[in-house]
Amino acid sequence: MFLDAPSVERLIEAFRKLPGVGKRSAERYALHLLSAPEEDALFLSEAVRTARERVTTCSICCDLTETDPCALCTASDRDRSTICVVERPAAVMAIEKGGTYRGVYHVLHGALSPLDGIGPDELTVGRLMKRIEAGGVSEVIVATNATAEGEATALYLSRQIGERGIAVSRIAHGVPMGGGLEYADDVTLSHALQGRTRL
Amino acid sequence: MNLVELNCDGFRSLSGLCFKPAPGVNIIRGHNAQGKTSLLEALLFAATSKSHRTSQETDLVQHGAREFHVAARVQRSDREVAIEVNWWQGVKRVRVNGLALSRVSDLLGKINVVFFSQEDVGLVRGSAAQRRRFLDMELSQLMPGYLHALQQYRQVVRQRNELLRGGRRPDPDLLGAWDEQLGTHGSVLMEERRRFVESLAGPAQEAYGQVAQGERLQVAYRPDLRDGVPFTEVLAASRDSDIRQGMTTRGPHRDDLEFLVDGEPARHFASQGQQRTAVLALKLAELELVRDRAGEYPILMLDDVLSELDTKRSRRLFSVVRCGAQCLMTTTDLGSQDALFGAECVYFLIRNGQLVRQ
Repeated sequence: MFLDAPSVERLIEAFRKLPGVGKRSAERYALHLLSAPEEDALFLSEAVRTARERVTTCSICCDLTETDPCALCTASDRDRSTICVVERPAAVMAIEKGGTYRGVYHVLHGALSPLDGIGPDELTVGRLMKRIEAGGVSEVIVATNATAEGEATALYLSRQIGERGIAVSRIAHGVPMGGGLEYADDVTLSHALQGRTRL
Repeated sequence: MNLVELNCDGFRSLSGLCFKPAPGVNIIRGHNAQGKTSLLEALLFAATSKSHRTSQETDLVQHGAREFHVAARVQRSDREVAIEVNWWQGVKRVRVNGLALSRVSDLLGKINVVFFSQEDVGLVRGSAAQRRRFLDMELSQLMPGYLHALQQYRQVVRQRNELLRGGRRPDPDLLGAWDEQLGTHGSVLMEERRRFVESLAGPAQEAYGQVAQGERLQVAYRPDLRDGVPFTEVLAASRDSDIRQGMTTRGPHRDDLEFLVDGEPARHFASQGQQRTAVLALKLAELELVRDRAGEYPILMLDDVLSELDTKRSRRLFSVVRCGAQCLMTTTDLGSQDALFGAECVYFLIRNGQLVRQ
């Protein structure tokens, strides 16, 4: 397409590697940056560079952070005896938005998936077990995704942690709050019925 | 429900075709390769957006053409349903009563059909995989939760097989995490399959008895796992052989459906006519099952069903078919049915894709 500009092709390729970006969007982003004021374009490259340089994973919970250990792991008002295990940093943000969880987190950075070559060693399971062995943990809440892979990860963790006499729980699956039942998909609804609680 | 009108344009060999069947039994006659099966296939396509003969939609378009249109108007007990399918160079647009459907799966159930095709005889004669596909397809349409369990189960089997591949001996806790899920989803599959086959077996036996008097058909679900033994125990017992073979050797992905005629497995011992009658009985049972669910009979399509049945069986089939469902039946026999079926049928002749009412 840009016969004379392999650097533009490279830029488009770079955008295409991002999740959810197809060929068309990648071209739009690339052309936008090239026609935008130079400082805007360089601001993006600078922002990417700075974030990459400053952000590491927390040595305790493995979440993304600029300070190690992260703010959640060092906060004085968090209950360190409860660990919520999630697949991705985005899940931590989602639960924090809810504002009711007072425990701490552990980010696995994925879920078990033999087809993708991901076993416990590719995740941060070892670090989680060390945290538990260090003591002071009474409950582990497994909040991995409701997929076959997330479920397998939850079951595996419950086997590993349960042996140590620590309570392991799984988050509930059900209907969204404030929504009519008629808008829930039928699979979610039948799970919600199976997981009903007594009033 | 009754098909009132079917229009096909550019669908296989059919162009400018307008088919207006009557309620009750309609017989479409024609020599081979005149478009009889294509006519039924067109209605199946309007009802399900699928063909029974091909998964390649480009096979459906007339040679040299770029597009086809199929429109079906159906009178249900309480409303009229008009479905239009327009296919243009690989893009399919479906409209129901003039409104475009965003998801093709929303089409299911607007028109109910039960279709007996030449390929269906493979249900008795063919592989267990074919019979499982029949169970999975029917149950996915009838039970919304079934499809989810099936997809999850298949994914877990793929993941577990990957773990077992190449004779590796995986961590038992790791294997156990997948085993437990096989149990959860597998038990849903087995339970629904059992219930479905049970509800089908009675009506199938009855229909078979009516067509083949004096013979008895049994349809039985043959799960790979025996009743009452927990799946996880079976998996634990077969773990060594699973590791040796590098795959999951036990579970509902090995289930089968068995047809017995007078107590003997129909797959090996039944004649062609008996096998055909058995599949036919299954379809007639499905007719009753769909009626229970939808509140009225679906449209019954029988493609060349008479070709391997003797006169007695054909005649009796005919009395069963007159249950009240609209029936579209094709045959290559151009004359002799008059005496068999009497005057209640409406006859059509198809030649080179052109249809005339006789």
